[in-house]
Amino acid sequence: MSNAAIIDAASAEALDPADFHSGATPIWCPGCGDYGVLSALEHALAINGRPPHEVVLVSGIGCSSRLPAYTSCYGFHGVHGRALPFAAGVKLARPDLEVIAVGGDGDGYSIGGNHFIHACRRNLDMLYLVMDNRVYGMTKGQPSPTTEADWDSDIAPGGLGLRPFDPLALAIAGGANFVARGFSGRPQELKDLIVEGLRWPGFAFIDVLSPCMAFRSEEFGWKESVHPVARTIEDDRAAAHAAVLAEDGYSLGVLFKDHRPSLPARYVAQSSLSEIEQQFAVCR
Amino acid sequence: MARSSLSVVFSGRGGAGAMSAGELLLRAAADLGYYGLMSRLFGAQVRGGEAAALVQISTEPVTCQPDRFDLFVALDWEKVDQFASEIPLDENTVIIADPQSGPTPQSIARSKAKTIPFSMSNADATPLERALQSKYTNVFAAGAVAALTGLPADALQSALSAVLGGKSATVTRANADTLAAGIAAADTLDLDLRLAPPHTAPRWLLTGNQAIAIGALRGGVRFVGCYPITPATDLVEWLSPELQNLGGRLVLAEDELASINMVLGASYGGAPAMTVTSGPGLSLMVESIGLGIAAEIPAVIVNVMRGGPSTGIPSKTEQSDINIAIYGGHGDAPRLVLAPTSVRDCMFTGEWAVYLAESLQTPVIVLSDQTLGQAFTVIDPKPDRPTPLARRTTVPDGPFKRYAIASDPVTPMPRPGTPRGQWVGEGLTHNEIGIPVGGAAAHVAQLDKRARKFAQFDPGPLWGDVWGEGETVILTFGSGIGPAQEAARRVAAAGQPVRIVSLRVLSPLPVAALAHALEGARRIVVMEQNHSAQLYHHLLAHKAIPPSAESFARPGPLPFRPAEIVAHLG
Ligand SMILES: Cc1ncc(C[n+]2csc(CCOP(=O)(O)OP(=O)(O)O)c2C)c(N)n1
Ligand code: SF4
Repeated sequence: MSNAAIIDAASAEALDPADFHSGATPIWCPGCGDYGVLSALEHALAINGRPPHEVVLVSGIGCSSRLPAYTSCYGFHGVHGRALPFAAGVKLARPDLEVIAVGGDGDGYSIGGNHFIHACRRNLDMLYLVMDNRVYGMTKGQPSPTTEADWDSDIAPGGLGLRPFDPLALAIAGGANFVARGFSGRPQELKDLIVEGLRWPGFAFIDVLSPCMAFRSEEFGWKESVHPVARTIEDDRAAAHAAVLAEDGYSLGVLFKDHRPSLPARYVAQSSLSEIEQQFAVCR
Repeated sequence: MARSSLSVVFSGRGGAGAMSAGELLLRAAADLGYYGLMSRLFGAQVRGGEAAALVQISTEPVTCQPDRFDLFVALDWEKVDQFASEIPLDENTVIIADPQSGPTPQSIARSKAKTIPFSMSNADATPLERALQSKYTNVFAAGAVAALTGLPADALQSALSAVLGGKSATVTRANADTLAAGIAAADTLDLDLRLAPPHTAPRWLLTGNQAIAIGALRGGVRFVGCYPITPATDLVEWLSPELQNLGGRLVLAEDELASINMVLGASYGGAPAMTVTSGPGLSLMVESIGLGIAAEIPAVIVNVMRGGPSTGIPSKTEQSDINIAIYGGHGDAPRLVLAPTSVRDCMFTGEWAVYLAESLQTPVIVLSDQTLGQAFTVIDPKPDRPTPLARRTTVPDGPFKRYAIASDPVTPMPRPGTPRGQWVGEGLTHNEIGIPVGGAAAHVAQLDKRARKFAQFDPGPLWGDVWGEGETVILTFGSGIGPAQEAARRVAAAGQPVRIVSLRVLSPLPVAALAHALEGARRIVVMEQNHSAQLYHHLLAHKAIPPSAESFARPGPLPFRPAEIVAHLG
């Protein structure tokens, strides 16, 4: 068998979630929701079927952004807020790879908020998984764009007094093809969502409710609040936007799916560089 | 007697076609074998503001702005006051203006240049033709000037079609007629502008921005992420369709934070990648350049400098981003900073930057500036090219450690998709595998690893150039080199030899090569275009020049001109 054939045969073999585990010990606090996200992701990747070396996980900065090193995939742990453009660069240069961006709500919605809008609009075929704990965990408990207005903290005594924004509504308005909400306390359902997101063409965005044990232990009560989404809206972006704005923020599942085209994966070379250089020739 | 060079200004309100007139003259001359250079002056207004094309044609290579202009062609006088101070004229300058445009404004007349009235429309045309052609005063004027220099009509007509590109048949026809009328009208001007015959050879006509783009393509760049910013935009506007033609891609990012991260991502994916910007954009990229350095990701960052700080003077030149390019960023973040030595060298340095980024696995900053970038120049295409150097991607035997501490500080970085090669690029202080760690030992080890890449980097003869000899040295870089050489030629002709030492590598400073280049110097003048003598202090800090060296630093936006340098040398 040729080398390529051996690799093909190997990747065709069933993958195990353990194949995606690096063995590095997470720095996460005991009980952090992100453990559940990591586990669901490893299971989903095994089902998805592409071997670890064909998957690239990109993150920014935050507790959640530590995730790539805990998998056995290729990865990149960049600066705060820039995971999405980095991931876009990987995908555009290498459309053959499975590209996944991960991070926190601060990373993705605050410092990286502009990139979030434009990643939805660009609609590249990749997955973006946000571990939304509605707090800045790594910097020890400041309110994020998804934190409730009255959540009391040192930096904002009595609460910020600002209405949290809805990242799912933003993603739908921005142009993402797949918009879903998961919960780290429901890893089986989360795994299924991730598999579906990975396989859905275009930009798949999953906001994962992932409680912060250290600064928002009340978030463990989310398991009482969550419920299945009433219905998945397909192709009707306006209806989906309205539905998302009307729901309570705890419905789990796919809220919206669309079939908007993305950028062309590649351009075919039409000319050689020496031909291009000829445009500058004078006095031939 | 025929002259060896001619400098001409075409000036008018935006839309009057000053740039097309300049390009027409330059292109026709270039096709006949003349050298030349055209700089463009624009006011701040996007449409309808003032515009001037500053054109030089010569039998010898042109590498700087002239001290003065021989000819000033006013397509109109509407907005000329706004940049009159940037166009040196004197009593020997001839102004050509249509009496219909009104009197010569004081800002121009002050030079004591004499004005020759010249009707810039075709006297024989029917009223209808005249109405059609009045839009093309620029072509009429360019035709007349070009004919006086001795450029033949057929060369002018073919240059005109090149300048017009794909304009409609009616427009092309009207322009061609106007050009013919302009050529015919040359006889009515009592002016001797005849040029000596050129030394013909196959050459290129392009801007420094295009030359850097070509260099990057030659080096293998097939991915560009960028955000528009003057004076870098024309580089990426030229590059975008050509990248597509080559099967590559340019992505218009949402901002420079995204541009640099897209470039790092594409590069992590295995594609040689580049971003192109100017000062404000470079400022936004600084954090992520540090990331590229720490995570050891190749990337080329072209910075076409303009006047700063803040939004500064967006459309005009300055060399004031030396500090940010070399030192911008938090932590210890050594990087390679290169500067092309001429428009011609933009190609070489652009290509070399890609090879260095790829082989050393680090961001490389290329400092160009508006003067080089937007100068439309005739060059002898450089036959020599840098030796190709590639990224190491092979997965070594045994357990793979991306950031291994070994005798070679450059460690393999497998392309994603390679089995057994998985690694996580890491911006936090990390161990050899790439896992974040907070200890002193790993911190020092990785800082050392990265510093060794630069300590071991030996540019050889490519560090820069020494030109001429003499105990007086002008040490400069980038767009300072051309005018310094011209000044040195004049001073040498007057019996005082001057040596020009020019840097292509600004960081890490080639201290040993510089020491050699400065041997025997009695007077060293560090010439640069910024207010705070950034290069001078960089050189002093590294003891690359003696404390007795002088600083000749002044900000933009006016380009250095030879006479100013001659005067400074005293
Ligand atoms: C440019 C920059 N600003 C600020 C920080 C400090 N910082 C590190 S993580 C973080 C917030 C992380 O919050 P989130 O993304 O929600 O992730 P979590 O830790 O909650 O998982 C901040 C503000 C930084 N690293 N870089
Ligand atoms: S601080 Fe919160 S988000 Fe961070 S690891 Fe601990 S529990 Fe998780």
